[in-house]
Amino acid sequence: MQKKKIGIPYALYFYEYYPLWKEFLTRLGAEVILSQPTNKKILDLGIRSALSEVCLPVKIFYGHVLSLSEQVDYILIPRMVCIERGAFFCPKMIGLPDMVRSSLQNLPTQLTPIIDVRQSYGTWKNSLMEVGKLITDNSSEISRAFSDSWKIFQQNYLANILEPNLLFKSSIQNNIPKKPRKDIEIPVNIAVLGHNYLTNDSYVNMDLINKLKKMNVNVLTPEIVHPAIIKKQLKKLYKPIFWSLSRKVVGAAFYYFEKKVDGIIHLTSFECGEDSMVGELIHHQSQKYPDVSYTEFVFDEHSGEAGINTRIEAFLDMIRRKKRYEIGLTPSW
Amino acid sequence: MKLALPRLGNIEVINNTILTDMGHELVEAPPNSKRTMDLGVKYSPEYCCLPLKIALGNMIEAIDLGAEGLIMAGGWGPCRFGYYAQVQRDVLLDLGYNFRMLIFELPRKEGIRTLWKNINILRNGKSWLYMVKQLRFAWQQILLTEELENKVLQVRPREKKKGAASRILLKSIREIKQAKDINTLEQIRKETMEKFAEATNPHMQNLIRVALVGEFYVSLEPFVNHHLEEKLGYLGVEVVRKNSIEAWIAPIMKLHIFKESFKEEKDIEQAAYQYLAHSVGGEGQTSVGNVVLAHQEGLDGAIQVVPFTCMPEIVAETILKKVSEDLDFPTLTLTYDEQTGEEGLNTRIEAFIDLLKMRRKRVNVS
Repeated sequence: MQKKKIGIPYALYFYEYYPLWKEFLTRLGAEVILSQPTNKKILDLGIRSALSEVCLPVKIFYGHVLSLSEQVDYILIPRMVCIERGAFFCPKMIGLPDMVRSSLQNLPTQLTPIIDVRQSYGTWKNSLMEVGKLITDNSSEISRAFSDSWKIFQQNYLANILEPNLLFKSSIQNNIPKKPRKDIEIPVNIAVLGHNYLTNDSYVNMDLINKLKKMNVNVLTPEIVHPAIIKKQLKKLYKPIFWSLSRKVVGAAFYYFEKKVDGIIHLTSFECGEDSMVGELIHHQSQKYPDVSYTEFVFDEHSGEAGINTRIEAFLDMIRRKKRYEIGLTPSW
Repeated sequence: MKLALPRLGNIEVINNTILTDMGHELVEAPPNSKRTMDLGVKYSPEYCCLPLKIALGNMIEAIDLGAEGLIMAGGWGPCRFGYYAQVQRDVLLDLGYNFRMLIFELPRKEGIRTLWKNINILRNGKSWLYMVKQLRFAWQQILLTEELENKVLQVRPREKKKGAASRILLKSIREIKQAKDINTLEQIRKETMEKFAEATNPHMQNLIRVALVGEFYVSLEPFVNHHLEEKLGYLGVEVVRKNSIEAWIAPIMKLHIFKESFKEEKDIEQAAYQYLAHSVGGEGQTSVGNVVLAHQEGLDGAIQVVPFTCMPEIVAETILKKVSEDLDFPTLTLTYDEQTGEEGLNTRIEAFIDLLKMRRKRVNVS
């Protein structure tokens, strides 16, 4: 029998959950096809087919779906509703399968398992099992595939997280050269915050992370902060945030503020509803930490690269000048 | 304590019942105006949705008039509304205001203590019995107000003298606000209905009927939607308003007496199911369901109102394109932001209504 081809659009929540699905589906003997990393063509496809008011990440998701449609038998578009008590995904992710279905025509069959851990049908296990049934009838095999891939997924997730002490001993106590000739020799710690489909998509964020690294910046992301720390930091809020993805961003932001990193860049996408609220919370918090420089970059479908470059440079120059002054060096200008 | 309530349509009718009569000093937020909008827009996060900005404007104006406590509703997502009060508090604190935010929402965990405290502040030492009585009366006031508002939508396109219906409504709202007991409300209802009947031209039949769906605040607040209902009424269109405060509060309270509205909610979900199988928060699924129902009820078209960047309504808007195509049912989406230019809006509404009229003619001929 020919292998079933299942397409996974490499966008939105799949930045986080792709390894789980891939492991699970391959173990069952399906062929998993991941769409290309975002590129001009995918972005254009998405922009052309979505309503103009839809936010950028969803437009990109559309593009990925379309780019897959020719090559696969099925497209996986889970309906992510809730993965922890008291928090949801963004409305657009909850309605995503329906949005895709009503805007795009001639798509392969869509697999839309519901992930809603409050309901018995929506637990990770049951949703994945339901998808598994399409590939094989052997339910014990599906069950085994699930538990194995779930274990691997959890392990990998934890492997990315750095020990909190390690994180700061090695990187934050920066070894500044005694007499830096140029500003760029002063290392700085910058936390780049945002949903992981923005921070990791180097096409959309104009390769921001690598640009920073080239400029001798130690880049910190929300992913390397331990969930327990995030949970603790979130207690600072009057009211718990009810969006799972934003919880991580805000928790990490508060943590980095507390640890006094040199600067924080918050990446948001135009029209993102969560970011508009969360951005305000982080901004409010930033005023309590005058030592930490804070800025916000908004990305939309046509942000010119030069603009971002200028802003990064200006932001870094500002931080480095401050540092020079702090360590008692004469200004370089 | 000097308390204030943000504005929402005619919700001010309950101000006396739940604030003044409970022994609080009432600070009425000035009616929504250009100034309210400007203040709200100036201090809100840029990409927040419009209701947050306007409510923030209300709050600033109320505090400037001396309010010490602000009453606000909350929720638990996924719509942004649930987090409004927190962001507004942060913004107002940053501005250096001194106030207390009284948030009323279904509590979770520690929230129950805050809610208890807030209820006690509102109770202000009066007996529980009295408080319950006042709340029940406030509910009756809201119900009557909405009944009249819905009635006026039918009267306006048929009125003998332009503007008569709106004037009658305005007067009745003022009376409801001053009313103290159920009998007075009954009296107001009777008198207003008589006046409406008098103002109506009975020969106007077979008007174009349009459903008004979409986001709750924008559809109920005339200042924000640029008096859409009145505009449509004067174009000779009967508007069927699908959102109401009643349908918003009733499911939250989950009280037995409101069983009826529950049934309606089920029907709406059922109607939407084929297109949007899961609630997306806010009024997303309701908008889709209501458009399908409007088609089944034989209305001529639907208008969806959306505040710019509203998450649930953008989902609904995307899906409504498909619904409209499938059912051959004209749907117009109007997006509102802080721009106040009206001519573009007028043109779009007029064109849409012309289209509906032409469709009618075509059907009649064939």
